[in-house]
Amino acid sequence: MRIRHFVRQWANPRAAAPVVLAGLLLIGGCGDLEILNTNAPTVETLTGSPTRTILARAATGIFSQMYNDVATEVGVYALYGREGFNLLGTDPRETQEQFRGPPDPTGRHSANWIGPYQAIRSINTYLQSLSTATGFSPAELRASQGFAKTMKAWMLHRVAIRTGALGIPLEVDQPLGAPPAPFVSFTAALQAAVTLMDEGYADLLAGGATFPFAVAPGFASGFNTPATFARFNRALAAKMQVHRATFVGCATCWALASTAMNQSFVTATGLPNSLSTGVTYFYSTTANEPANPITEPLSSNRFWIHPSLLSGVQRKADGQPDNRLTSKSIAAGRSINLNDLIGTHKPIMYNSTANPALANLAAPIPWINNEELLLLRAEIRWNTGDQAGAISDVNLVRQNAGGLAPTTLTPASPTNDFVTELLYNRTYSLMWAQGTRWLDARRYGRTGTLPIDRPGDIIYPNMIIPAAECDARALPTPCLLLR
Amino acid sequence: MQRIVRRWMLAAAVALVTPQVASAQERRVTGQVTRQDAGTRIEGAEVSVIGPTRGQSVRTGADGRYTVTAPAGVVRLQVRAIGYRREEVTVPATQETANFALAQDVFNLSEVVVSGQATTIERRSATTSISLVTGDELKRVPVPSVEASLAGKITGVNLQSNSGAPGGGIQMQIRGNNTLLGGFDPLFVVDGVIYSNASIPSGRGLVNNAADPSREADAVNRLADLNPNDIASIEVLKGAAASSIYGSKAANGVVVITTTRGTNGAPRFNVTQRVGAFTPLRLMEHRRWTLDSALVRYGEPARAFFADNANPFFDNPAAIYDQRKPSLESVVDVSGGSGGTRYFVSGNWKRDEGIERNTGAGKQGLRVNVDQTLGSTVDLRVSSVFARNENERGWSNNCNNFGCHGYALTYIPSFVDLTRRNADGTYPVPAVSVQSNPVQLTELGVNSEETNRFTGGTTLGWTPKIGGSQSLRFVMAGGIDVFDQRNDVWTPNDLFFERISALPGESVESGGRSRFFNYNANAVHTWDLGGIDLNTSAGFQYEDRQLTTFQIRTQNLLPGQRNVNQGTNIQANEALTQERTIAFYAAEQVRLFDEKLLVRAGLRAERSSVNGNIDKYYIFPNVSGSYRLQNLFRTGNEVKLRAAYGETGNQPLFGQKFTNLLTPLLGGTQGISVSAAAGFADVEPERLKELEVGADGSLFKERLTWEATYFNRNTTNLLLNRVPEPSSGFATQVFNGGKIRNWGYEVGVGYSPIQSARVTWVSRATFTHYNSEVMNLAGLPPFFPAASGFGNLGRSRIEVGKPITALVGFGVDAQGNRNPAISQLGNTAPRFRMGFANDVTFRNLTFNTVIDWQNGANVINLTEYLQDDGRTSPDWGSPTWATRYNGYLKGAISPYIEDASFVKVREISVNYEVPRSFFSKVNGLRSARVGLAARNAFMWAPYRGLDPEVANFGSTAIRNNLDIGPYPPARSTFLTVSLGY
Repeated sequence: MRIRHFVRQWANPRAAAPVVLAGLLLIGGCGDLEILNTNAPTVETLTGSPTRTILARAATGIFSQMYNDVATEVGVYALYGREGFNLLGTDPRETQEQFRGPPDPTGRHSANWIGPYQAIRSINTYLQSLSTATGFSPAELRASQGFAKTMKAWMLHRVAIRTGALGIPLEVDQPLGAPPAPFVSFTAALQAAVTLMDEGYADLLAGGATFPFAVAPGFASGFNTPATFARFNRALAAKMQVHRATFVGCATCWALASTAMNQSFVTATGLPNSLSTGVTYFYSTTANEPANPITEPLSSNRFWIHPSLLSGVQRKADGQPDNRLTSKSIAAGRSINLNDLIGTHKPIMYNSTANPALANLAAPIPWINNEELLLLRAEIRWNTGDQAGAISDVNLVRQNAGGLAPTTLTPASPTNDFVTELLYNRTYSLMWAQGTRWLDARRYGRTGTLPIDRPGDIIYPNMIIPAAECDARALPTPCLLLR
Repeated sequence: MQRIVRRWMLAAAVALVTPQVASAQERRVTGQVTRQDAGTRIEGAEVSVIGPTRGQSVRTGADGRYTVTAPAGVVRLQVRAIGYRREEVTVPATQETANFALAQDVFNLSEVVVSGQATTIERRSATTSISLVTGDELKRVPVPSVEASLAGKITGVNLQSNSGAPGGGIQMQIRGNNTLLGGFDPLFVVDGVIYSNASIPSGRGLVNNAADPSREADAVNRLADLNPNDIASIEVLKGAAASSIYGSKAANGVVVITTTRGTNGAPRFNVTQRVGAFTPLRLMEHRRWTLDSALVRYGEPARAFFADNANPFFDNPAAIYDQRKPSLESVVDVSGGSGGTRYFVSGNWKRDEGIERNTGAGKQGLRVNVDQTLGSTVDLRVSSVFARNENERGWSNNCNNFGCHGYALTYIPSFVDLTRRNADGTYPVPAVSVQSNPVQLTELGVNSEETNRFTGGTTLGWTPKIGGSQSLRFVMAGGIDVFDQRNDVWTPNDLFFERISALPGESVESGGRSRFFNYNANAVHTWDLGGIDLNTSAGFQYEDRQLTTFQIRTQNLLPGQRNVNQGTNIQANEALTQERTIAFYAAEQVRLFDEKLLVRAGLRAERSSVNGNIDKYYIFPNVSGSYRLQNLFRTGNEVKLRAAYGETGNQPLFGQKFTNLLTPLLGGTQGISVSAAAGFADVEPERLKELEVGADGSLFKERLTWEATYFNRNTTNLLLNRVPEPSSGFATQVFNGGKIRNWGYEVGVGYSPIQSARVTWVSRATFTHYNSEVMNLAGLPPFFPAASGFGNLGRSRIEVGKPITALVGFGVDAQGNRNPAISQLGNTAPRFRMGFANDVTFRNLTFNTVIDWQNGANVINLTEYLQDDGRTSPDWGSPTWATRYNGYLKGAISPYIEDASFVKVREISVNYEVPRSFFSKVNGLRSARVGLAARNAFMWAPYRGLDPEVANFGSTAIRNNLDIGPYPPARSTFLTVSLGY
């Protein structure tokens, strides 16, 4: 009966109504609606007033974003340059669009820019934060800036050589929502990138003894202080100048390339072991660390060596093929025909050295190494009047990396023959590493010499502008002419 | 006052049963309730004394008789029974008997539907179009997930199953696509508790390297946890004016589900047992090979397959989808009540066996609903249900390692016998085509899910006695809905596609925890001013919704092990989303001119944690009215005209206001870097504005009823993803802007041509047609929404001036050449949808059918594309193939964009009510029923794939009809025996 009593007492509306209404308002007034994001740090962490520790983490983030698109450069350029096939068969585009077009400005090609430019935004944010940061010595600041400018310059260069003559937006360091940065020509883009590279070099030279952050493991073997990192900077600068000289015909660039080359870590001593000296994209089997995106067991049907690399290989004195082919590919013991693309040999340059049938997720991918530098130096020397030195450099690589006899070229040989020999060596030395065959064919106007497997297949002259880049400028896609 | 109180009591009638203390001023009225025309007795009808003083409410017995205690003097009695029109009579002071003959309520016009947080209205008077389906209509034919049983029964709703997999997976769309990026699910409210319909994917997409691992995992939407047998009614609030009371969660419509509650009387038991089976409706067909054609395609390795048989042909799909185990369901419920207490308790156990080997779904549940009155002014309702749901969904949809059957089968030639085994019982290593064997996968792979869920709610009402022409009621309601879902996916090292992986053997444990909590407090005041009735309500609401999803993925497992500890590469992921909303509302309803004119207006103000400005109140108004023209031309004819305008919202998703940083790991150091997705710190809710006009009517004393509605709705301030120029470093940025429009017609007609003592025939038809258009994208260029498709293989595209649901891709011109640019090739929205339901009763036999017709709409048939790519198409070499293959070769997708029209017999059932004379000697048995029912019994579709109802990406904002090796559609057939005690 107690309940009845209670109810009767409270059943008097005149007594209860104010209480109920007051209660309602009370409940309504409180209630915390500030719910923070506990899933990840937000951008304010970086743009506020970041501490030294946070900036050190941001430097690691920049190193990490340099990995953006490595898989594309290796796995996709390899198809464009006919270094190989992807015959897994789960995506028809691998044997269709990649080989005969049309390029989809919203598909594969739309992802083409976001990786590099995302890294560039990270670097720009980092540079801005550095300008207001406290707690750094002047040398540390220079070292940090030198690191950041080196990475930014390299990213700009990477994206510029993809789209080639179409050009790229350059001055992208502006708030989100601002009008899109104007396009600059291929020539201007390459020049701006290398100018920034040079600025970075100057900063690094004034950068003291150590970096105020953890340098990525791919730099561990001799490139992890400002002074030694500067040699990596110069190696990239030399490569960029060579690209300028060949892509856009910058005649004065050969001399600049030569200067940079001499300040880099190129060496003719210690061969053949010193061929691999350099900086790598470091991979690891540790969870959440980047893993090699190309490696796979021999039983996988994904990547295959292009038959032209097998048929076009030069032979050693004993009649065996160039070591660079035999160490980087292996007969699969089976043949795959997918849409008339035929694979018989698999790439194994990133597989276990003990058992090439097994994948090795920790296999590093070279960023730039001495083997590449020697070939770049050969290219520079040929074009700066030192033909004998050029032939000598080519032979260093032929003999030490390929086990081949010296080239029959002489300093008097036609340049065309030298280029053929140079590109042969670059193709086999840098096979499945950075899309060398495709880029080189483009640099020297030789895309017509790359093999065509089926009627109707094409060699892409460049990648196209992502649709979103055209859309942001209200231009129809594919947008080919920009200013 | 009398009338308004009566109206209001009508609304609350189910809840308010008041024991009366007999006194000298009371009397008894007795009588019988029968069915008009037939004269059969109606059991369980509710007879109540209505009027200014609250009276008793009783139920009729098996003989249709009742005895009710009423105040002395003239009283009004009201009779209500499910499926019949409400009747009222005035009983003079001296009259002691009152008999009722009820007419059938074919269109549920006498049912009450919600009009506010604490108010309801009879459908007959409603100012907006609200669909209502009663539990009886939902239970006839067993269904994997309750919303599927709405198909073909109501207007304005587009239901689509994402695949044929057991256990559900259905998307429900009310009046079109009303958002591009925001939440796209209707709001579900079960007994006043906001009920999660989350779809949490398993790790299936991860182990299969799917393009979009979460969306392509074919998740079950959690509405599947409801037991259809518990449901008393489902109301669908379609228009903004109706759903406005739910504020910024209601733009996609609101589905209000009410469960069965107890009635006064001795305990009644119902026991139902079902047994049935699932059989394939369609399976993939395959090309037949000769040695020559096989050698051309596969080279020398193919020769061995032709050694024993010149024409080997194995129907591999039939071997994978060959499970025919019996499916079982048991349901028990008991209900009753006495004094101030009523209860309904039910339990169910169900197991459906899928057609794919080792797939199936099951659920168990226990529900307790209790209603209690405290004194004569306070009433309390408690609802609670525990549910357990499990499924094994198998291996379907897109993948990139052939670890999914449909995809793999498009590449496996029919001369390979997938069931062949080596002497030691293992499967031979695939020699030609793909490195996978789906039969092996069905035996070794694990893809299972278990969900445990509790949902409980309480409603406390207090109706102080204040007499005069006014009444007051306070309602406080609240509830919680929590569930825990766990998914286990295991692809052991032995699977052929794992053997070739760099990290062979994978195990993914994933799932989610959800907690929804909401409460509200309301006051309702009614006032009869003589010819004018006023109903004022106001209140407060608080909602908190939280969902945590997690995922632990392990690769490179120790052979034979499946624990996520037992691999070398372990990745863990957790994501928390939370939203809190506080809202106030006030509403006014005015009834004029002898109840002919009804005008309602309301306002809701709310602020929410997911908005950029958490202190800002967003206001959502609504106003509506209806006018009834009674006895038009002839007695019994009626036409009601109605018009409504309302605004609702769609909240930003959690996290859309934040710009997160990435935290990559490199060399043991966790770095931070800018991500490609930018948030919007000032994000606001989307706003839907809708005008709805309609007319409802009835002829021949409601033998024929009809309703017609036109709506026009604009969603403005859309949540959009700007795709900034990639050179900015950002791939997406959220912002508000733009406008989309949906408009259309909904027509429902019900006719009962025969209503005699022996035979009744009720026929209903529904028609839904809507259009959509992207009006303005705030300067955005045409874009592809998330999960729009695969590059040039056909995609959804949002473009100003085009339907929201447009499909685009490269077409071919008259010469068979690919067009230079992409263009619209199809539309994922149907031209119209019609439903036809027929219920025929002949003596003790009832026969029901529901037919669902979709006209128009398109599917991107990538399964066929893959078959052409794998050269396994059944029509390989034929002229139709040649036309299609030309498109394939030229990079045009138009030949693969196909008509999604279908006619499906959704439900067909025969029930026999065993006459009492058969079991009169069985003690206590009250009723016995035997039935045979089939769901998706037949399908007619020009579609060349398996089922035009397909969505590789599951439920998405922009409906995506993408077919990539889905789980095949199945027909289910059940025999049911029900006994009542």
